[in-house]
Amino acid sequence: MSSNTTHTHLSSSGSASQMATTQGHLTASAISLNFRELIKEPKGLEDAANYLFQGLLDDVVAGIFIEIHHLRKTGNLTALDGVGEENAESAYRICEMPNLDIFGISTAKKPMDCTCPHCDRLVAAARFAPHLEKCMGMGRISSRIASRRLATKEGATASSSSTSTYLQSGGNTGGTDDEDDVDWSSDKRKKKSTQNSRSNGSKKNNGKIF
Amino acid sequence: MTVSNTVDQYTIMSGDRSKIKDLLCNRLTECGWRDEVRLLCRNILVEKNGNNSLSVEQLIAEVTPKARTLVPDAVKKELLMKIRTILAENEGDN
Repeated sequence: MSSNTTHTHLSSSGSASQMATTQGHLTASAISLNFRELIKEPKGLEDAANYLFQGLLDDVVAGIFIEIHHLRKTGNLTALDGVGEENAESAYRICEMPNLDIFGISTAKKPMDCTCPHCDRLVAAARFAPHLEKCMGMGRISSRIASRRLATKEGATASSSSTSTYLQSGGNTGGTDDEDDVDWSSDKRKKKSTQNSRSNGSKKNNGKIF
Repeated sequence: MTVSNTVDQYTIMSGDRSKIKDLLCNRLTECGWRDEVRLLCRNILVEKNGNNSLSVEQLIAEVTPKARTLVPDAVKKELLMKIRTILAENEGDN
């Protein structure tokens, strides 16, 4: 009914607006025209203002509700609220005693030892990886020591040609190591002789397998 | 073309609707209305949704009248004045 009255009102104001309305009232100029006609009457203005206010308020309320609903569904509502103080006291009290960390667990060293699969010795957990490196001859220094030990051993028992071939086949580390070692090799020789007499039989065997 | 359609179309087209909406949101948050409505929503959710009994739309329809009464008069008056001014100045913009 209200649309009928608007139609007649507009048609009386000219053919241009009539054309606009028949074109499906979606062009920008048609919209502004309709609007201005509406606003001219004071009652129209009142109605428009009230309607707009109500609409906007509904939007805001819907927005708030959806926000809460969403929080609730994702479980964040209880998260926002947090834990009550009584519960916090008993379950999550901070421990402040001298030799304990804040969860109440002792800070002393734990006696965790592992058995090395190579040499079957008990090694501390924190030292396991470096021990394994040396034990299996795969670290930088241990391979140097092992190859040099083998080289001197070969040199003592066989001809020099076999020593040189061994050194070459020992890889780059063997070759460059010898050049590096020139400066402090004299010190190392003294240590090496004592080391040779001291070393485990098992360690030498393992070096030789390579 | 009803009043509502025309007003909506025009205000959205001219960009006024979002301006007015922002103003409304700010005023409502400042005056604490938003927090009251949030509390209201939570209470309704708690008491009604034992087994997800009502849909979101129904719950919103329940909350809206109560929320409307909670709006402070000063805010309402200010917003209405502002809306009237904006609508009227657009009318003179021919």
